[in-house]
Amino acid sequence: MSDQIKNIIEIDGLRKVYADGNGTVTALDGISLSVREGEIFGIIGLSGAGKSTLVRCINLLEVPTEGSVVVDGKNLAKLGEGELLGARRKIGMIFQHFNLLQQRTALENVCFPLEIAGVKKEEARKRAGKLLETVGLGDRADAYPSQLSGGMQQRVAIARALANEPKVLLCDEATSALDPKTTLQILELLQEINRELGVTIVVITHEMKVIERICSRVAILADSKVVESGEVSEVFRHPKTSAARQLIFPQGEKTETFRGGKRTLRLAFDGTSTDKPIVANMVLACGEAVSILAADTKLIEGKTVGQMILQLPENEAVAERMLAYLDQEKISYTEGE
Amino acid sequence: MIDSKMLSLIGTGLSESLYMTFFATLFSYIIGLPAGLILAISSREGIRPNRGVNLTLGGIVNFLRSVPFIILAVAIIPFTRFVTGTSIGSTATIVPLVVASAPLVARSVESSVKGVDSGVVEAARSMGASTWQIIRKVLLPEALPSLISGVASATITTLGFSAMAGAFGGSGLGAIAINYGYYRGQANIMYVMVVLLVLLVQIIQKIGERLSVKLDKTIRGGAASEETNSR
Repeated sequence: MSDQIKNIIEIDGLRKVYADGNGTVTALDGISLSVREGEIFGIIGLSGAGKSTLVRCINLLEVPTEGSVVVDGKNLAKLGEGELLGARRKIGMIFQHFNLLQQRTALENVCFPLEIAGVKKEEARKRAGKLLETVGLGDRADAYPSQLSGGMQQRVAIARALANEPKVLLCDEATSALDPKTTLQILELLQEINRELGVTIVVITHEMKVIERICSRVAILADSKVVESGEVSEVFRHPKTSAARQLIFPQGEKTETFRGGKRTLRLAFDGTSTDKPIVANMVLACGEAVSILAADTKLIEGKTVGQMILQLPENEAVAERMLAYLDQEKISYTEGE
Repeated sequence: MIDSKMLSLIGTGLSESLYMTFFATLFSYIIGLPAGLILAISSREGIRPNRGVNLTLGGIVNFLRSVPFIILAVAIIPFTRFVTGTSIGSTATIVPLVVASAPLVARSVESSVKGVDSGVVEAARSMGASTWQIIRKVLLPEALPSLISGVASATITTLGFSAMAGAFGGSGLGAIAINYGYYRGQANIMYVMVVLLVLLVQIIQKIGERLSVKLDKTIRGGAASEETNSR
């Protein structure tokens, strides 16, 4: 039973259309995806792709125009008002700007969802205190948000989101307002929560680094649609759409503009052979130099994954030999984009 | 110059003015606070958007606000008589004061409540808070410092209106200033009353500011910035 994959979130044919003065705007256009219980799922897209709307459809802060959203076996759009409020208590959410109650202390902020759920005050304060300790802020319980740094405020927000023991935690650009070091600390905390409490986490972000760091699977959102999805390493290794490439290799995509008429080659490293000096070996084997137009490698789940754009020599025969060499080394490449 | 007659005038004027202002402001809030809340939450960006309710209530508020106080007070004399049995004196004056101040209070409350960060409201919704819980536990407490400033302003405006009511059968500092200073030519009495009014306004303003700052947990010195820097 336990090793069977269970989907905790199932989104099917989701559409969201806004009336906008003189017409309509389609924010989400036929989104289908599923999130497995216990995983950290990433949704990445450039701004305006519809990420924020999508995540708000998961707890029905936004009401879908069409399609269904099932969370933990419940179709939220079909629930009555009271049942929906109950269901939301089992879906935690954290935000880019933390959204803490400014007039309450850290402890009182964590108590808030418990008060909402009708937990007795004493019991709530006890639980809130424990949660603050979990996020490493046990000593700042009486501080007001204005007295806490951004990272600390996000920790309070995480404690607050966990107060009602949710099964799912939605993170809407949760690290986008934080510096790189604090971002890493928050991501580590999220990983820890995922591991130790078994909370399924959905991460919405425009930052590759966040996905690489903690997500196991990812969906790429562009122009209101899911353009690619799957295992993070798989999607990042072989991005199929230009939207995906733009997100994964922002520098690489730009270099296409200075091709200069010659044949170019995009090499993709899939993490198995980058310990060998592929390009240098190829140059030695074929006896002619190549120009490296762009290169970018990343560490994803411990494997080096990356791409390199090469300009092939004008000599066709040498160029062909180089392609053959790459085939032999099992390096995947695409030519002349 | 300050004789026993002046002292007794000061005493009567102050107590009548404070009596009218206090109760008029209180009743203005009893009506204006819920009205302002409804205006805020029924607006397009509110938690319960309702165009009909918003336009109707907003229309009434705007109408009452646009009638000058003196004209309003005279126009509703029959209503005042119906409520208090008379149209002159402190208690009777409270009625037009409330009718004039409540719409101002409603707008002031509306603006305070709309000033609450929409992200915080969204967070509360994401936690499954009901509309009523959001009003009670988020909107009102988060808007409190701003609401307190609003109470000070509303009190001062009501005090000003109450002084104006002296021109047509009201009482208090304004009535004394007009009756003695204007009708009987005793300018010194008028000046004393004006000085008292100015002092009252200053005191109310200061109390409002102090209270607002004291209650506002977002103003707590540089602790936050210090920590951010040391990171």
